[in-house]
Amino acid sequence: MLGYGADMDAGTATNHAVSSARERVGSRLVLVYQSILIVGLFVLWEVLVRIKVLPVYLYGQPSGILAKTQFLLADGELLSHVGATAFASIVGFLVGTTLGSVSGLLMWLSKTVALVLRPVIVAINGVPKIALAPLIVVWVGVGLGAKVAIAASLTFIVSLISVYQGTQEVDEDLVKLMKSLGARPFTIWRKVIVPGSTPWILSTMRLNIGFAMIGAVVGEYISSKVGLGFLIYNAGALYDLNSVFVGIFCLMALALVFDAMLSRAEARFKW
Amino acid sequence: MVSAPVLEAQQVGMTFDRGTSREVIAFRDITFALRQGEIISIVGPSGCGKSTLFNVIAGLLRPTTGCVKVDGVEVDGARGHVGYMLQKDLLLPWRSVLDNVMLGLEVRGIAPAEARQRALSLIQRYGLAGFESARPKALSGGMRQRVAFMRTLALDPQAILLDEPFSALDFQTRLILQGDVKRIIREQHKAAILVTHDIGEAIAMSDRVLVLSRRPGTIKAIHDIDLGSLTDPGAMRRSPAFNETFDMIWREMDGHTQMTA
Repeated sequence: MLGYGADMDAGTATNHAVSSARERVGSRLVLVYQSILIVGLFVLWEVLVRIKVLPVYLYGQPSGILAKTQFLLADGELLSHVGATAFASIVGFLVGTTLGSVSGLLMWLSKTVALVLRPVIVAINGVPKIALAPLIVVWVGVGLGAKVAIAASLTFIVSLISVYQGTQEVDEDLVKLMKSLGARPFTIWRKVIVPGSTPWILSTMRLNIGFAMIGAVVGEYISSKVGLGFLIYNAGALYDLNSVFVGIFCLMALALVFDAMLSRAEARFKW
Repeated sequence: MVSAPVLEAQQVGMTFDRGTSREVIAFRDITFALRQGEIISIVGPSGCGKSTLFNVIAGLLRPTTGCVKVDGVEVDGARGHVGYMLQKDLLLPWRSVLDNVMLGLEVRGIAPAEARQRALSLIQRYGLAGFESARPKALSGGMRQRVAFMRTLALDPQAILLDEPFSALDFQTRLILQGDVKRIIREQHKAAILVTHDIGEAIAMSDRVLVLSRRPGTIKAIHDIDLGSLTDPGAMRRSPAFNETFDMIWREMDGHTQMTA
């Protein structure tokens, strides 16, 4: 309906092919350097622990982390932690981002509403959402509900603020043009403001997936018996640092997967 | 050619912050009539209120005195009675050429099939065939302005306001587009008002040139342009009538431009 698509004329397509071939060579080299860096760090870590420069009970140990990973994978525990955190993050992300983006877009329709809400939004944004966690637990109870609610509240406010900002960045002259065509505010909103704000919506999504994970993990710290946050918190209390690192690395892997998914989505919406 | 005017300005004046210490008279006593098939140019120094005058004519601003009439009816708010073309092409980057041309028709609630038909016939007739599904990003500046002009024409407005639409283009593209826009306005029996800083452009494109004074803007002089049957931009610019008028307008604007240049 809005006419997104991937049609290009031949000239641009060829340029694109050439430059992406060059990029591919470059990115392969980058990949090699990245592997060297990561493997190097792990080897250094392992060596420092083995020659007793770093005490193993404070820093863990790569070989121990690997063994722990195998152990946790074997009885399916790790997978259920990863699944729980991923699920809570995604649901919280979807709820918060959708509600926040839609609210941010709608606020364009009324300058008065936007001005009235401004201090409220600024105040809510200023509060570390973690401070709201106990309230949320009281309201929605422990478990999945709390995790999702914390993740959603974090992402909601980020989306609201930056998507509203996006609507304000749409060229004022486009609005004037629409008015001169006889368009009413809602038509201008639908045909210019909403599609014109999509780059902001998408870039906010990448930011938000990180916030959603923070929300989910915090929820797991305080009120859950499953999830990577629970794994990390629990293992930390027991000085089982290898398990803590397993949790952290799983979170990193999740973050990378989410980011890759979103950048694919973003690329499809480039005009 | 004695038809009723398509658009009339009667003693139009605009004052901002009236009755306060910051009161500014943008322009006053602007009176002219635009007939079908006619192009009027307005030239004047920066700050003579040309853009404000355009906003008044388009119905985006209400004049403090006088009135603007389209087809004898006083303009009251933006109703899409006039087409608007600006220096910026203002194409929506997420829409194809065809969808951009259809924008105004969509706003008007014209049935999609009919809107598409109308847009396609304009695109094909005026040199954009084959680019219907291209994105604005893939087009040159001249082509983008062509699309903007098609978008303006698609609504079939009585009058078209051209607010320096060629000033961002390179010289050659500008001459070609000036010629095309003039020809199309005649062909489609439209009327247009062109605001420009370029005296040559004003003479080459219009039937009459209004020279505005510095703020508060008033009509300082009106020149009827008659270049006979010349249409070639080069030949036009070499003709004695062109150069005489150019010199006259240049002198009329000189005192003002020295202040602002």
